Amino acid sequence: MALRITIGQYYHADSPVHRLDPRAKLACALALMVTVFFIVTPLQLALGLSCAAALVVVARLPLRNVLASVRPLVVVLVILGVFNLFYVHTGTIVLTLGPVAITDEAIWWAVCYPLRLSAAILYGAIILLTTTQIQLADAFDAALAPITHLGGPGHELAMVFSLMLRFIPTLADEASAIIDAQTARGGGMGEGSFAHRVRSIGPMLVALLGSAMRHADGVARALDARCYEGSVGRSHWHPLRFRTMDAVAVMLTGSYLIVLFLLA
Amino acid sequence: MPAVAAITRPAISLEHVTLVYGEDMAALDDVSLSVAPGEWVCVLGANGSGKSTLASVICGLLAPDAGTVELVGEHVLDEGDADLSAYRRARREIGLVFQNPDDQIITTVVAEDVAFGPENLGVPPEEIGARVARELHRVALETYADMDPTRLSGGQKQRVAIAGALAMERRVLVLDEPGALLDVRGRRSIMDVMRRIHVAGTTLVHITHFMDEALAADRVIVMDRGRIAVEGTPREVFSHVGELRGLSLEAPFAARLSAALRHHGVSVPLTCDEDELRHSLARACASEAHAAHASVPCACAPSDEPPAVICEHVSYSYSDDARGHAALSDVTFSVPAGSTCAIIGQTGSGKSTLLRLVCALEVPDGGRIVIDGTPTGKRRDRRRLHGVVGFVMQHPERQLFAETVIEDVSYGPRNMGLSPNEITRRAARALDLVGISGKADASPFELSGGQRRLCAIAGVLAMEPRILVLDEPTAGLDPRGRAELRRILSEVNGTGTTVIEVTHSMEDAAVCSEVIVLDQSRLLMQGTPAQVFSPGHEELLKTGGLGLPAPLRFALALERDGMAPLDNPLNEDELIAAITTRATTFGSSGAVV
Repeated sequence: MALRITIGQYYHADSPVHRLDPRAKLACALALMVTVFFIVTPLQLALGLSCAAALVVVARLPLRNVLASVRPLVVVLVILGVFNLFYVHTGTIVLTLGPVAITDEAIWWAVCYPLRLSAAILYGAIILLTTTQIQLADAFDAALAPITHLGGPGHELAMVFSLMLRFIPTLADEASAIIDAQTARGGGMGEGSFAHRVRSIGPMLVALLGSAMRHADGVARALDARCYEGSVGRSHWHPLRFRTMDAVAVMLTGSYLIVLFLLA
Repeated sequence: MPAVAAITRPAISLEHVTLVYGEDMAALDDVSLSVAPGEWVCVLGANGSGKSTLASVICGLLAPDAGTVELVGEHVLDEGDADLSAYRRARREIGLVFQNPDDQIITTVVAEDVAFGPENLGVPPEEIGARVARELHRVALETYADMDPTRLSGGQKQRVAIAGALAMERRVLVLDEPGALLDVRGRRSIMDVMRRIHVAGTTLVHITHFMDEALAADRVIVMDRGRIAVEGTPREVFSHVGELRGLSLEAPFAARLSAALRHHGVSVPLTCDEDELRHSLARACASEAHAAHASVPCACAPSDEPPAVICEHVSYSYSDDARGHAALSDVTFSVPAGSTCAIIGQTGSGKSTLLRLVCALEVPDGGRIVIDGTPTGKRRDRRRLHGVVGFVMQHPERQLFAETVIEDVSYGPRNMGLSPNEITRRAARALDLVGISGKADASPFELSGGQRRLCAIAGVLAMEPRILVLDEPTAGLDPRGRAELRRILSEVNGTGTTVIEVTHSMEDAAVCSEVIVLDQSRLLMQGTPAQVFSPGHEELLKTGGLGLPAPLRFALALERDGMAPLDNPLNEDELIAAITTRATTFGSSGAVV
């Protein structure tokens, strides 16, 4: 059982999307992701999907990496579609299968829900693939600036968040090693009855927690050794600068939103 | 550099330093030590000797309880009083690189990670860019600047960590076992980088288990139970071969060999320099021709039992590998029942994947694997096989989870559905075999690092597997721990269990009965150690990031220097015997003249 996680892994390329100021990029992406859930008409759906697809092209991301981040959620998307197909009863009936009646609206929602959710996932993937985790931390730092100004640990929260992103793949690898080891000892979540699998979660979590604590110790030592002392006195190799292209990105996002709402 | 050292203050100075953990565990006990600017000091010691604590004290991350500490000219600790702001200033001048590369990399882009330290120091952006380029060049990773560090090999990750420390322009660099988790090639690359840094004038404090690495240092310090046991130049320290053994350390190859040869009456100087030893041996024995040819004995008698493992045209690839590379392709071999088999190959050659397949944790994409007569294709068979094949993964101690040692060890037998009596018997026997019976009721987290590993191995042995598979079981252990593990494995093999082991050590592989060599997901060779480690394979092995065992490498070098054939010795005893015979011949013929 190999839990290989590809979500949240930066893909380096030289593209306008990569070069955007992370604050502008994150704000635009959030706007795009949230408004996805206002999509209700086929025209809007077409616009939303083509916008996401266009971004993938502009960001020069290989289709393989983009699809890899959607793949783990395919099951959820399919269930979502099927659920809509059977539970939406408004509209005119187009098909009857025994006791189940399927309406034209049900078919539309069965298509629309999974597709618009995949658009949102795509935007998320684009952000993570085109933004280094240090840039993300800087963007969060900016977003949390009000907390920092009030004397709260805004900067530190942003750092913790970015370290969390950094360690997701490492911990996932370790979880799969632990599952392997326990499976080889006749336990483990890989095999056996449902009850057996549930019982084996405990030992897995204890070992994983131990390993997370060990990493936390190591990271603390590494941060100390490299003189990390919070934001005070810290400089930036690539200081954040809001440039013309960021303004263009914000304007493009704004016009997209206007068109999207006009199509409603 | 010694000339400079004479006039300037020491880079590091510790006087009567004592540091106590918990109640009464003195990790450092009255240690006094001084390191001159530009000096390269190597600290050796068994696990638990206090050398890691010493590293933390030297780089200013840990303040001792008593004594006086001066770091890069800052009086950080005066008679036990710590000056925290002096500590902060000192830390800006002292870098640390430690064992686990994963924990030291903070960001997800190589260049950004090197920049992280200078950013913390408030270095202006243009200057950071220059430093990042300079340090990546120094550790030979400039082409990897934009890569994701998690995709690099262990050795490359450690070089990123070193570059990150150097980019902060530190005067002192402390390396706490930087090569402990690396393969031969990774360790060699770290040593190359260290030599370059030393030449550039950085003070180096290098903590290591590997005696051969200590030879490059100006001075060696051997720690034992929190105290400095031996101190001097590598040559001085390694002349105390017997004393080092008492400290559960092992002198480097040349020092061991020269001591043993002198013991057998061969007149060679006591040295830790292989070339020097070789030259003096060659002078002594060059003119002598030697006729006798020992036939290579067959290591194991052919058995009637079916092989323990059969792999036929096995291939496997990870579905999410973005480059679409196969982890294994067309691998065919078999392992005789009751044998000891070493699998060697550099990082990324497919060894770990092969082990997962052999342990029936995964099925191959193509070809088939038969374990103990059962193919691994069916799910039900695989479940049964988990009771037949025992799997000790890399760093198995990380997977302990139960409240007591005995409970952890009983986990496997309990999953096999054995009776309570049988579970108790097996757990007790396994603990006895690895020699930690006394710790049965302790928490696994109270054990020392070496004992934790033994506990994890006992957990697998308690299932009484017919085949025991281990992935680098000796990684990170000190010489005593390694010897202890060798003893356990040969005892397990003595009861008829097939032992399959992935190892980075050619010397360990040479004492197995079978050797399998993997290179770039393919099978490069299989055979007895004598067949695989034959002089003709030297180049082939080298291109696969491997090499010959040290005794054979040394013997071949001697032969090139003009010595009579030494019959390809694979271990030190054979080499010593071969040289002694030649030297005796020399002595007798010398008498005739």
